[in-house]
Amino acid sequence: MKTKLLSGKNWKTILLTFTFLCLQTGLVFAQQIRVVASWPALADITKQIGKELVNAESLATGVEDPHGVPMKPSFVPRLNRADALVLIGLDDELSWLPALLEVASNPKILPGQPGYIDCSVGIPVAEPPVRLDRAEGDLHPKGNPHYLLDPVYTKIVAQNIAAGLSRNFPQHQAAFEKNLKAYVTELDSWIARWEKMTAPLKGVKFVEYHQEWVYFANRYGLKRVGAVELKPGIEPTPNHIVDLVQRIKQEKAQVLLYGAQNPRVPQQLANETGIKVLRLYSSSGGRPETDSYIKWIDYTVRTLVQAAS
Amino acid sequence: MFPRASRNFISLTIRFHSYPLGRIGGLVRKTFGLLLLLFLSKASVSSYILDNWLVALLFGSLFAGRETGVYEREVIVMVLSLRGRRQIAVSAFVVTVFLIPRVCLAQTSELEAIRGIVKNLEQQLQKALERIDQLEKEKSAGSVRVGEVEKSVQSLKAAPGALNPGIGMVLDANVEHKSKTGGNFNFRSAEIGLAASVDPFARLYGFINGTREGVEVDEAAAITTSLPWNLTAKGGRFLADFGRLPKIHEHELPFVNEPLSVERMIGGETQADGVELNYLFPTPFFLRATLGGYNKIGEGNERIDNNKPRSWSRFTYLGRLNTYFDLTDNHSIEFGTSHALTPSLRVSGDAGGGSRILNGIDVTYRYQPLASVVYQGLTVGGEFFRNSERIGFDDTSKRRQSYGGYSYAELKLNKNWSTGFLFDYAPSIESPGKKTIGYSPFVTWNISEFNRLRLQFTHADDRVREEKGDGGNQVFLQWTTVIGAHTHGFLGR
Repeated sequence: MKTKLLSGKNWKTILLTFTFLCLQTGLVFAQQIRVVASWPALADITKQIGKELVNAESLATGVEDPHGVPMKPSFVPRLNRADALVLIGLDDELSWLPALLEVASNPKILPGQPGYIDCSVGIPVAEPPVRLDRAEGDLHPKGNPHYLLDPVYTKIVAQNIAAGLSRNFPQHQAAFEKNLKAYVTELDSWIARWEKMTAPLKGVKFVEYHQEWVYFANRYGLKRVGAVELKPGIEPTPNHIVDLVQRIKQEKAQVLLYGAQNPRVPQQLANETGIKVLRLYSSSGGRPETDSYIKWIDYTVRTLVQAAS
Repeated sequence: MFPRASRNFISLTIRFHSYPLGRIGGLVRKTFGLLLLLFLSKASVSSYILDNWLVALLFGSLFAGRETGVYEREVIVMVLSLRGRRQIAVSAFVVTVFLIPRVCLAQTSELEAIRGIVKNLEQQLQKALERIDQLEKEKSAGSVRVGEVEKSVQSLKAAPGALNPGIGMVLDANVEHKSKTGGNFNFRSAEIGLAASVDPFARLYGFINGTREGVEVDEAAAITTSLPWNLTAKGGRFLADFGRLPKIHEHELPFVNEPLSVERMIGGETQADGVELNYLFPTPFFLRATLGGYNKIGEGNERIDNNKPRSWSRFTYLGRLNTYFDLTDNHSIEFGTSHALTPSLRVSGDAGGGSRILNGIDVTYRYQPLASVVYQGLTVGGEFFRNSERIGFDDTSKRRQSYGGYSYAELKLNKNWSTGFLFDYAPSIESPGKKTIGYSPFVTWNISEFNRLRLQFTHADDRVREEKGDGGNQVFLQWTTVIGAHTHGFLGR
């Protein structure tokens, strides 16, 4: 007996699959430009630059650990339909985004393509790696990626996004540039205000959970005493905590900053040393009242100033 | 000062020689005016420059047509070395023979010349101011450009390394004790992974695995990256898209060993030589289909010879649908259904055979609280398989049917610790009535993302008795470490 592959039931299966395939193609309507951003702060800036031309959505919500966004398959269709992808870069999204791009079947937004808008271009990177070795932890291989905490650098980010959008949609370049100008002007006035507000932060000593406050500290003159994590991404060992307690007492550190991380160790340190613990997220959207970039930085500045005074 | 000045002189000489006679007048007037200005400011310097300029002019005419760089240098040498009276004599000679007549022509109105120069300077000043304004405006944009240059310099520095593929290695070693067979240091695998883009249209990855049995290519496949219509094609040797955990490398599993049900019904990892076509449906939710064709599926499936050519009806064909839904931000569920068909299964040595159909359904529920995904989580997953086959012609009426599967739950306790339980129901394919049932609690300590210890206890009630080690009580301590770039991508999540 010979089994025929293309007979009976199999034929129907193949025909059905084929019809399905044909049905799915070609149903694309020209609408708003679809931009997917990795983090809500970037989606907000993209909206400010694209205004009504752009529909910008963020994959992360803002409450996640800065390096712990789950690799959800529901991100795949969103990446598939995106005209452009806006991301932090410097391997910030390494643990989840590249693998999603592998299955998103969207050649437009692959690294190196015009639709891949890396906001870290032109940022003077802090803490560049001196020794590239995983014994140094695994999360900041290209330098510290948490530059959004410096509002002055965010002007570069806005320029990168405007340039990226113009590269993909040159017909709207004039509009993007006009909006960019308006946003940078707005940001400048806020930056001037924050500069004044942060005067009492000069020289304030702080401890951070994860190494993400360097840009903010450099801008406003805070002094970092230590980090709860042993190395970026590595949870503290008991010895490290003992060391840290000693250092906090010695240096008289005033505040401990953490965001999406576990509050257990910060609370323990607060109990032992009396250090003030502040939960400040490393992206907008971490709290409902910080739904835009400016609101987020403003909240951060106000909370810190209040705690330090 | 000198090189710049000499460059200006050269360009003047070139122009001098290339201009038609009618326009020479104007040019001479300009240059002469400039010299005059210098004269007025400091007589000694200007006379010195005048001399050298004339020498340069001479040289320019002699070397005209040669590479600019070369005779610029010549002129500088001239300018620097000839400072004596002889030079003045030469200059005078040049002036009398070549220039004086023309210069005199142009000298009709000195005043006019000066006016022209002043006007010219005014214009230049205006231009310079405008340029400064423009630069000022571009200042902020400039820093972006500087960054870009820095980046490209960086990537150039890394270029020889960057063109190499990402390289990584995983070591997976066990120490185990089985009540039926005894203890063992089990060097399970040292897997070297390589991955890089081939060109803008494809990427290539490979996993070369050294085990106690020897070294073999576990996977080596090319994948397209820019096919239209949401299609992706894959070819080579890879883990066929059947089920969820069967296509994950053993060291990436949430527990120590491949479930016995997967081992027996599929043949362990779904390794296959063949091609696959993936299609991502343009639906608002995740829906992905796979069609594939292979020599056979299953690394440990020794019933079919992987190396011999065969008729098309003796290949294995696969179809899979995979979908996923977010129930809320924190809860999600994933479904998959797989269907593998071998139209004519001929187990090595048999003269003939019927078809083999292997079906699989997989369900995975995940609790991933966004705000603390690093510290908490729960995964509950299970797969159910059905195998139906007919081998040989002796018994034409009946197909051999066997059912099996596994389910597990894994609870994340904090960033480093998780624990779970695996239930395994593994039938024998050869004698479908017999089965092995396994219960395995396990604890995992993720020292870091790349360093993991796992302790597992297994109690297996084995009624199949094909292999002694399948039954009894077993204890495993597994140590898995990773260096370099190592990722099994989306499918390994």
